[in-house]
Amino acid sequence: MTRFTVATREELWLDGRLVERRLSHGQAVEQGGAIVATDARDDALVAACHGAMDELRGLVLPGTRMRLIAEATPDGVTRTITVTIGGHSVVTSPAFLREDVELLRAVTGRKVRPVTADERSLPLLWKNGTAAVLLHEAAGHPLEHAHDALDLPPWLIVDIPLEPRRATFRDVPLLRMRHVHARQVDAPFVPPDDRVEVLLIEGGAYEPLTGSVTVRVAAADRVSGTDAQPLEPFELTWSRDALIFTGAAGDPVRYPGVVCSREGQELVVPSFAPLVLTESR
Amino acid sequence: MKSIYRKWGTTLRWENGAQIRVTESGVAVEDGALFECYPEAEGEGHRNSDDANLNTIAEAVRTAAHGLTIERLILTCGFAEHECNGVRWSEQTRRLHLALTRNHLRVLVDTASFDMAEIERIADALRRAADTEQSPPPRLRLAPNVTAALLPLLPGLAPPNVTLLQTAGGLDGRGMPIVEAASGWPNWYRPSYRVRPVRAPLNLRLECEVTVIDAGRPVAVALLAPVRGLLFRALVDDGVRAWPAAVRLTRIDAVAAERIWYPYGAGSFGAEMML
Repeated sequence: MTRFTVATREELWLDGRLVERRLSHGQAVEQGGAIVATDARDDALVAACHGAMDELRGLVLPGTRMRLIAEATPDGVTRTITVTIGGHSVVTSPAFLREDVELLRAVTGRKVRPVTADERSLPLLWKNGTAAVLLHEAAGHPLEHAHDALDLPPWLIVDIPLEPRRATFRDVPLLRMRHVHARQVDAPFVPPDDRVEVLLIEGGAYEPLTGSVTVRVAAADRVSGTDAQPLEPFELTWSRDALIFTGAAGDPVRYPGVVCSREGQELVVPSFAPLVLTESR
Repeated sequence: MKSIYRKWGTTLRWENGAQIRVTESGVAVEDGALFECYPEAEGEGHRNSDDANLNTIAEAVRTAAHGLTIERLILTCGFAEHECNGVRWSEQTRRLHLALTRNHLRVLVDTASFDMAEIERIADALRRAADTEQSPPPRLRLAPNVTAALLPLLPGLAPPNVTLLQTAGGLDGRGMPIVEAASGWPNWYRPSYRVRPVRAPLNLRLECEVTVIDAGRPVAVALLAPVRGLLFRALVDDGVRAWPAAVRLTRIDAVAAERIWYPYGAGSFGAEMML
């Protein structure tokens, strides 16, 4: 018999004003292939959530949409903050809130133009750890589907452990990514003069029937020599076999939060990647 | 004014081979701009969920889908009691979500019953389906399950020869009677006690003066992807051949009078439709 117990406190703040507040608690007991779930209350977990929420509430910023989530299980308490500014979002934690909001502010309110058809086939330089999202879709989800591993160059080492995870006590645990951690070993490259630099990702998808990978880019720059032009959000889709990893540099950078939704269960997947250059066939 | 809503319920769910029974009760409070919800200690005994044997239903789906891959099968039956501002009501629900695949094709089935006839018809077409996309025929029928998925997108977009209506009957998410309406959407949709209710068209239906359907036309039997607009992908079956096609809803020639309720949007009555 296995038992999963959880309590979650969630608040939504709009421009410094509380508009939604939720408490959830429950347990799921699995025995003989069947799960019995109830909203049973564990007072200690609920108290831990309240304490964590008190801390989170002190971080609310004016001029933003902030969703604060404190979740307590017997393994510990997690604190997650989703910040939205000008239609762009990051998923962060108290420790990284300041720098992630700076990133959001840097890509918000820029004078943008649509991406052209030709620019869609330019080399892509994945900055700010965004390559972790590409690898999440192109390498991680295929693993969950027991598909062949993504063909990666030897200098790009990607760690994507899978483990049974569930979003709430009402959900059936699924084999999901615990994290995406990519690092590079001696993969120097010269950035091409003409390229697109990916700064922030809005979302992505993997289509298991066709093996295609989609990434929705929230913010990017078209770079030509020393000129950089901000681009409107756009979507890119490739066959994952068409992706070519051509170089990488630096230490892994934490990407501000990937909330992965599968079978209706949303889970945070911590994601790290170095600066990566890709092309497509 | 403060609005208080309570819900008690039990759901039995069969999800890709795992069975889970969820029992819970909760309160939602709307107080001005603030929405708050939390579990509430159960005040009354829950009635059992209905007695559907989900293992048996799942086996029937497997039989109907022989030769195809069941990518996703979720069966749910539940019973819930609601109370809002002094009004009390209950509901029994059944839901089936099925994703069937063959090669690169995936059909999606969402129903409020465990009736196998519709699944058998769709599975039969998928087994005969060509892999490559072709044009839809100029004259096409849409099956009720396809029509139902389209209706939530039609407010403000329906062609002039048809009328999109909210169907009167039952109570909404605030315990108010659902009334007949063509616009303004006076009722409230509350899919869960954890979600702030919103005004939405409930139990939509489409009416057309012409209700006679030419049964000889090829029919779009199922969706191949969730509907995002008036251009959608469907599996078309002419009785001999079946193929994937991108169908654009521009003109509606007829809508049958017989309707089936589907769990799309805030409820949608599908009826056979002729384009």
